[in-house]
Amino acid sequence: MNTSGAFRERLLGAWVEIQENLGRSVLQAMGVLLGVASVLGGFSISDSQRKRADEMFVKMGGLDKLNVQPKAAVRDGRPTALQQANLGLRDEDAVGGEALKADAIHGVSRQKFARVRVVSAYGDQDRQISGIGGDFIPANGYGVARGRAFSASEMDTGAPVVILGTEAAQVFFPKGDALGQTLRVGSVPVTVIGLFEERVFRFREGQRNQFWWRNRIIAVPANLVQRRMNGDAYRRVDRVTFRIPDLGAMGGFAKQLSDLLKANHRLQEDFRLDDVAARIRRRNSQGDVYDIIFLLSGVLALVGGGIVNVNIQMAGLKERVREVGVKMAIGASGREIFKGFMTEALLLTALGSLAGLALGVGFSWVITKSLGIPLYMTPASFLWAYGLAAAFGFLFALYPAWKASRLSPMEALRYE
Amino acid sequence: MSSIIQTQGLTKVYGANGTAVHALRGIDLTVAKGEFVALIGPSGSGKSTLMAILGCLDLPTDGTYTLDGRQVQGLSGGELARIRNEKVGFVFQSYNLLPKASIARNVELPMLYAGVGRKERRERALALLEKVGIADKADKLPGTLSGGQRQRVAVARALANEPALLLADEPTGALDSKTGAEVLGLFRELHQQGNTLLLVTHDPSIAAQAERQVEIRDGLIAHGEGAA
Ligand SMILES: Nc1ncnc2c1ncn2[C@@H]1O[C@H](COP(=O)(O)OP(=O)(O)OP(=O)(O)O)[C@@H](O)[C@H]1O
Ligand SMILES: [Mg+2]
Repeated sequence: MNTSGAFRERLLGAWVEIQENLGRSVLQAMGVLLGVASVLGGFSISDSQRKRADEMFVKMGGLDKLNVQPKAAVRDGRPTALQQANLGLRDEDAVGGEALKADAIHGVSRQKFARVRVVSAYGDQDRQISGIGGDFIPANGYGVARGRAFSASEMDTGAPVVILGTEAAQVFFPKGDALGQTLRVGSVPVTVIGLFEERVFRFREGQRNQFWWRNRIIAVPANLVQRRMNGDAYRRVDRVTFRIPDLGAMGGFAKQLSDLLKANHRLQEDFRLDDVAARIRRRNSQGDVYDIIFLLSGVLALVGGGIVNVNIQMAGLKERVREVGVKMAIGASGREIFKGFMTEALLLTALGSLAGLALGVGFSWVITKSLGIPLYMTPASFLWAYGLAAAFGFLFALYPAWKASRLSPMEALRYE
Repeated sequence: MSSIIQTQGLTKVYGANGTAVHALRGIDLTVAKGEFVALIGPSGSGKSTLMAILGCLDLPTDGTYTLDGRQVQGLSGGELARIRNEKVGFVFQSYNLLPKASIARNVELPMLYAGVGRKERRERALALLEKVGIADKADKLPGTLSGGQRQRVAVARALANEPALLLADEPTGALDSKTGAEVLGLFRELHQQGNTLLLVTHDPSIAAQAERQVEIRDGLIAHGEGAA
């Protein structure tokens, strides 16, 4: 038995049947089409939104970072004697932390803040300045546009050098000749050796720049702040950041780090780690609600369409009883009739799905365009949409096909 | 002598107890290989009912039926379909062609169900259309043909799988007498080529051309049951 030939014949027969009953076929394909478009469109819109959020995280230098900060209570409140005796967050913590999992950690940076008066020939403001150490610049998404970054020895010795964000450069050197000039930071005259690239990120086109405040940065070596502005003998820092791209490794590392720091700090929990688990949960559940809503509306469209299809098929079957009778009379088995009807329904589903995919793409394009975010579609969305339609198409085709296959040849032939 | 049809005590009851119609009430019929039998009888006597059972389109209420050496009762739907496909060729009064399929495809369809390959199907269909004299209509739709031509297509389709038995229920009933005579000529030719033929007719002149006449009245054979 030539099965592939038989299949091709069935497909051909189904195609002829669909063409012959174009109106009915279009109506039947409609439910599938809307369901597929709804699932694909919904998934794609929430994927685009999620992708945009991810991009923002990455640009902020987000997700892959584990921050350690001193605990606020210790910093501001009235510390206990034991807390007073503790060591705080220090350079050593950064070094010790990195040693825990050197292979998973792609960078460690330190920050030491100070609020000081910053004075140039054109500006005089009370500003927060960032003492930075380690891989701060790349890890936080900064880049040096002009001039250069700090050298290792400048970092080490706490040299009096500064790199300015675009806003800071504009405020203190509005003529645009900041490089090489001197800026007084607190009581220390520092030389401008570099200018950062402008940081710009808008979640949607036309929104305000969500990174504008990053352009206010005035960065000097952390050791400069520690030694000459806001330091102490322990060389405490205000923030240590570990960059760990492997989110899976991050959870374990956070636990180890916490244990290590506690041991080093005389069992005082005078530090605070980012809640990595919560962050991962949040990241993974972003847009879930929308996915479920869209999936549901797609499924409802498919079920609704499916029920309509059963009705149309059953009505169509009445017109086709004689045809079934003739086919049976010349030797078609019930199984053959069943396969014929199924092929027709599935071909219709496939065609409806294809149209639905096209409509879904257009639909998502229009929506994301109007939201002002780039369209992002994954193969998974296509598979979901198509798979659901195929599954429902199959399910709802079963009953009419089964009914047709159960007709008795004689009764079918006598049917008027 | 090998018989193609052998029935014993075939009965057929339509409907439930109260309104039951006893269409057949015990048919014993034997038809030998190569015979040409005409089935006659008044309207409502059970001719079509008997033909349907002989063609495995329907099952008897009781009795036994052996077709070309094979017991029919107790077979599954799939097996019956296979017998209809391979052993029986049925010609109806109303042609029963598939209106959306071309003439050639109508003739090919039984071969498709039998699993004959595409090329061979086409060749055999064209040869059969040649045989019934309408090869030039192969790619037309049935709706464009005259009644006589449609009945020729139906005959070609019935012959597609070289059946052991040709059944024709009033094949000329819907045709004018001239075309009817032509179609009957075709059947006589088929008989001469060795086909076994059972034909229902109301027309005594047609019945007269058969080798044997079997008459049915009220679901019973009134005359001519044994094989010649
Ligand atoms: N499906 C059915 N349900 C109920 N009764 C039926 C059915 N088919 C046939 N009958 C009855 O069975 C009897 C025999 O019918 P059948 O069609 O076999 O007669 P026929 O000899 O072919 O008549 P005609 O010469 O008019 O075609 C009739 O009384 C008919 O009404
Ligand atoms: Mg009849």
